[in-house]
Amino acid sequence: MDKLGVAVLGYGFMGTTHLSAWKYIEECEVKAVMGRTLEKVKKVAEKFGVDAYNNFEDLLRRDDIDIIDICTPTSTHARYAIASMEAGKHVFSEKPIALSLKDADAMIESAKRNKVKFMVGHVLRFFPEYMKIKELVDQGMIGEPVIARTFRGGPIPEWSPWFLDKSQSGGVAVDLAIHDVDFLMWIFNQRVERVYAKVERLIHKDITAEDYALITIRFEKGGIALVEASWALPKKFPFTMRFEVDGTKGMIVSDNQSTVPVKLITNETTAGFAPETLPWRPAVHPFPVDPFYRELKHFVECIREDKTPMTSGEVARKSLEVCLAALRSAELNAPVKLPLKEG
Amino acid sequence: MADKVRFGFLGVAHFHSESYGRAIKQLPNGEVVAVYEDDEKLGREYAQKFNIEYCKSPDELLKRDDIDAVVITSENAKHHDLAVKAAEAGKHILCEKPIAITLKQADDMVRRAEKAGVKFQTCFVMRYHSTSILVKNLIEDGTVGKILALVGTNKLNSSLPLLRDWFTQPELSGGGAVMDHTVHLADLIRWYTGSEAAEVYTEIGRNVNPKIKVEDNFLTTIRMENGVIGHIDGSWSYASGLYTWGDVTLEVLGTEGVIFLDAFRQNVYYVGMESPNDKLTWHYYGCDPDLEMVKSFIECILEDKEPVATGFDGRQGVAITLASYESAKLGKPVRPR
Repeated sequence: MDKLGVAVLGYGFMGTTHLSAWKYIEECEVKAVMGRTLEKVKKVAEKFGVDAYNNFEDLLRRDDIDIIDICTPTSTHARYAIASMEAGKHVFSEKPIALSLKDADAMIESAKRNKVKFMVGHVLRFFPEYMKIKELVDQGMIGEPVIARTFRGGPIPEWSPWFLDKSQSGGVAVDLAIHDVDFLMWIFNQRVERVYAKVERLIHKDITAEDYALITIRFEKGGIALVEASWALPKKFPFTMRFEVDGTKGMIVSDNQSTVPVKLITNETTAGFAPETLPWRPAVHPFPVDPFYRELKHFVECIREDKTPMTSGEVARKSLEVCLAALRSAELNAPVKLPLKEG
Repeated sequence: MADKVRFGFLGVAHFHSESYGRAIKQLPNGEVVAVYEDDEKLGREYAQKFNIEYCKSPDELLKRDDIDAVVITSENAKHHDLAVKAAEAGKHILCEKPIAITLKQADDMVRRAEKAGVKFQTCFVMRYHSTSILVKNLIEDGTVGKILALVGTNKLNSSLPLLRDWFTQPELSGGGAVMDHTVHLADLIRWYTGSEAAEVYTEIGRNVNPKIKVEDNFLTTIRMENGVIGHIDGSWSYASGLYTWGDVTLEVLGTEGVIFLDAFRQNVYYVGMESPNDKLTWHYYGCDPDLEMVKSFIECILEDKEPVATGFDGRQGVAITLASYESAKLGKPVRPR
């Protein structure tokens, strides 16, 4: 079978992470990478042995490209995704799907009409500890999930300035909290009834994006959850994700800081690594367990076997709706019922 | 000046009567003299265990002149009447939290104690825990700058509330997890911010344990007068097989840094091999806040000082708790009264 051609849009942290992962997916071959500044893109392209573009239309004209992988700022997802779908390409987009439900709906509609596959990178579902949580919940180990709390946080992502611009990233409540919102909805497997949230700029007053969110979610069958998402932590704070769910028959706790298998301490630095999330290093990196490899592999499988991706546009729209409801709730200082009406 | 404080227990329905009794006995300037309890069997058991007298009525205990102070560890709903009697009899009062189940009761208790000139201390043990005091000091030293957000848990093993029936009988307890486990964190947040709660929003979930007839889980968002945001999860929702009773944790986020408090984290792990079911358990070696709290109360009486956790602090805890219930009922943020 012919290899599927891939083009990656964006060469930031996520773009290069994907470029690394694609190399290990044998059904595919990355053909091109696109970015704004041609000089910089050329360097990345050279490293990965692919073509460099700074013009999307030129890239889209290539007929040896089957998959467009969008790793650009969230505000651009819809435009790139829809143009790609109209050109008959399958689309993998980073999370969040978009910054508005209107955009999300247009993307979903375009994928359907053009009969292409569309997946959104809710990569948490492919992290080994979260896969284990899901497995245990599905086995009935905790009975019905009832109350959960999640924490996700680290320093402000200064290395990628677009995160700090609310009109590009949506702020912490949309960009970061959405990971846990999606995972909670997957675990609880219920519709969200209402959302109450505090979303603030606590530390970083000179940017437009909020850096702190406390989101309380109520599910339709009476389950509740707290999602805490923070970019308000000190510069040396290790990126932390905690998850806890109490159910009618048991509880599950996960904490990436307490399960670090490899710690590195030198006179200059202290760092913890897990093989799955190690900065890419071919000799030791077990790619079959890399969450980014796994999600892209799943997407390719869906294309090959004509299946619906686990985190389809429709699924991704749901967590976006909750995050947008959180923003609305914080503005109104009142709980916001779903479905959310935009406008 | 007296060099010793002699205690009577009014009500021992709350588990803490045991640890407070033990704490008093450990102190050279404390003594436990007598106990009254509505449930005579329970009261006599307690009397026997501590080798003290059982009194048949609160009045019988309160008219004794070999008692200087009372510990009220009855069911929540009975705190008020016992405290009022104690104040009238001129006894100092150490009252379990929540100090009352209505604001009217709480205000009345505090006012009467003041009028009678007796000390009233609320059992907010976390104000006496060396780890939370350490955090208080770090905050006051400016280690994390200006406080912005406080997010905490005071969760409990779901098997514990059922050990004493009254915890799940609203007419005696005033409610479930919200009533029982809002106040410690609410008080820490007040203490650390030096500010009062301006507004609370509470979601109460369906129960984890259907055998419990009151709510056993909730999530409360708080906004303080000075703008700090806070969050309280005091659910009784930890699985009964957990290796410990529960926790008190608090994230303190400031402009210059963050502190994570896990107050009861100092444990050694034990695992048995008697049976396949012998599971991991935690064995605590940290500070005994009950002992520190009783020590401080005795000091306040002997040296005529103001308690660290006052009746007013207890009253504010009740106000936040009741606002939480109201918020859950109305589905909107509520300002505590």
